[in-house]
Amino acid sequence: MRSLISLQGLSIKTSSDGRSLTSDVNISLIEGEALGIVGESGSGKTLTALSILGLLPRGVEVASGEISFNGENLLSIDPERLREIRGKEISMVYQDPMTALNPVMTVGNQLLEVLDCHNHDVKDPESHVKQSLIEVGIPDPDRALKSYPHEFSGGMRQRVVIAMSLLLSPKLLIADEPTTALDVTIQRQILSLVSKQRSRRQMSMLWITHDLGVVANLVDRVAVMYAGRIVEVGTTKQIFNSPQHPYTQGLLASLPVASSHRKNRLASIPGVPPKPWLVGQSCSFADRCQFAQKSCRERLPLLDTRGTKSVACFYPIASSI
Amino acid sequence: MTLVIDNVIKKYPIRQSKSVVNALNGISLNISKGQTLGIVGESGCGKSTLARLIVGLESPTKGAITWRDNVLLRGSKNQWRNHLSPAQLVFQDPYSSLNPRQRIGECIKEVIVAHNLRQKEEIDSRVTELLKVVGMSEDMKNRYPHQLSGGQRQRVSIARALAAEPELLILDEPVSALDVSVRADVMNLLVDLRKEFGLTYLFISHDLSMVRHISDVIAVMYLGRVVELGTWDKVLDSPQHPYTKALIAAIPDHSQVGQMDLTVSLEGEVPSPTNIPSGCAFHVRCPIAVPSCSHTIPQLIPIKSSQSVACSEVVK
Repeated sequence: MRSLISLQGLSIKTSSDGRSLTSDVNISLIEGEALGIVGESGSGKTLTALSILGLLPRGVEVASGEISFNGENLLSIDPERLREIRGKEISMVYQDPMTALNPVMTVGNQLLEVLDCHNHDVKDPESHVKQSLIEVGIPDPDRALKSYPHEFSGGMRQRVVIAMSLLLSPKLLIADEPTTALDVTIQRQILSLVSKQRSRRQMSMLWITHDLGVVANLVDRVAVMYAGRIVEVGTTKQIFNSPQHPYTQGLLASLPVASSHRKNRLASIPGVPPKPWLVGQSCSFADRCQFAQKSCRERLPLLDTRGTKSVACFYPIASSI
Repeated sequence: MTLVIDNVIKKYPIRQSKSVVNALNGISLNISKGQTLGIVGESGCGKSTLARLIVGLESPTKGAITWRDNVLLRGSKNQWRNHLSPAQLVFQDPYSSLNPRQRIGECIKEVIVAHNLRQKEEIDSRVTELLKVVGMSEDMKNRYPHQLSGGQRQRVSIARALAAEPELLILDEPVSALDVSVRADVMNLLVDLRKEFGLTYLFISHDLSMVRHISDVIAVMYLGRVVELGTWDKVLDSPQHPYTKALIAAIPDHSQVGQMDLTVSLEGEVPSPTNIPSGCAFHVRCPIAVPSCSHTIPQLIPIKSSQSVACSEVVK
């Protein structure tokens, strides 16, 4: 099947001193598919997402690679065309809804602005935006349209941002930790909402998170990032039930399980993740890995793909499924 | 009993308005020596206010907090210092709780000096000892917080709290700001320290899996009240209060890939603490509420040994 979006060999560096932030990231999504990118802070998951939309912060740039979306290379297309795609075909939901919204503009006007910017012709824009608020479960949409972001709770604000991102029926939704700032019962409401909207719209989704639990029942496939590289990709079942990279396995083992048998100690991964630009031509996880051999420090393991599963490890844990 | 919290009420009046934030609405809890009490609840339930009251950063509007039979009152500064020493607070965010311009060694030393706990010549070796206790080397003394990772900073915060030689540590979301792979390390450290120094913990978190891991007793809070209280296994494995049930059901579970649907466990949002619903504060969202719930406030009543619930429908 043809992929909707594919990132090939994407490397991101700082502009001033060429420090490598992500290296050789390969991701592809077919239409309607949801992929979770899991990683800790500094692993490069957010930069990867931002690079798709051409929104990398100042001082950070794509050094090499290709991002193709529906046959167009997003890195070399006309900025005007990218503006068209951004918000219309690919939209994004950020972690903090307060900073994603304009504090001095009513929610209604912000939604109308989206239609306006994209010259989206609808008969009745007001009722169109109102409908979008109803779809994301905002009670009293008429009042909401006239309200400012600070008048909403965190969960409601995130619903507004989701309504905005879905307004032009994008083909791909990128969500960067959209539930991290929310309470668990509200998080569940948002996950349920996004999950319903995705299946109703047959939309593709890229969900970025540090929380493994969140993606376990939300996405079709998971990519695990570590120190700027993807170390393992597989179906959600493969990643959670039979992780093959020692890092993935370590992450899963460090989570307390909800069973009545309580372990005295949690399994931990010694040390901290290295800075991606200091890794060089070796396995970035070698210093923290219990299975590391001499070769792990001498050569860089590349993603080895077998079927639906890829692992970047010389000594992967045997798959049990 | 080491710490007794007796019917504590805390209200914050809002300036230039008649409304009041009802942060705590009659909380009674006990912690015995060596025990870990886990407190769970969502934002606005009053869990952090409770922590602030115990260490004396705030004083209760009504009710009393007793430490070893001494009522904690916001009296003279010296009296506070004596009380503060046995109860220390570890904050959530080690990025904002450490002074960025103070070296790690100084930051720990400050506490020892303030509480007058060591002779001048012993202070330096005590700092080294405290760093060792939290698994850090002596050469960390000269570093600044920005040179440390999140996990290391949180270890420093713990060492700083231990410097006052407390009996009770109040841990307010101590691992929430940390990366997943270092959370386990800090949790293990807390378990070790509890054993080594016979510490009593008040562990506050919204993360039920961490609370499950460390607590002996768990209190579930909702809008300034305890709605369920019991031993950890009772509360988490056979929750009785409808709010506790919804909270547990909402936790993303990685151990059941593809088996769990993402149905909403609880509709609506927590009402504002400035305008708490009458009767049982949960009745507006409760799946089992009956008309009487809107006017009678349910009390925490024991239903089994070591489990109490504040719900008139469950107790019935």
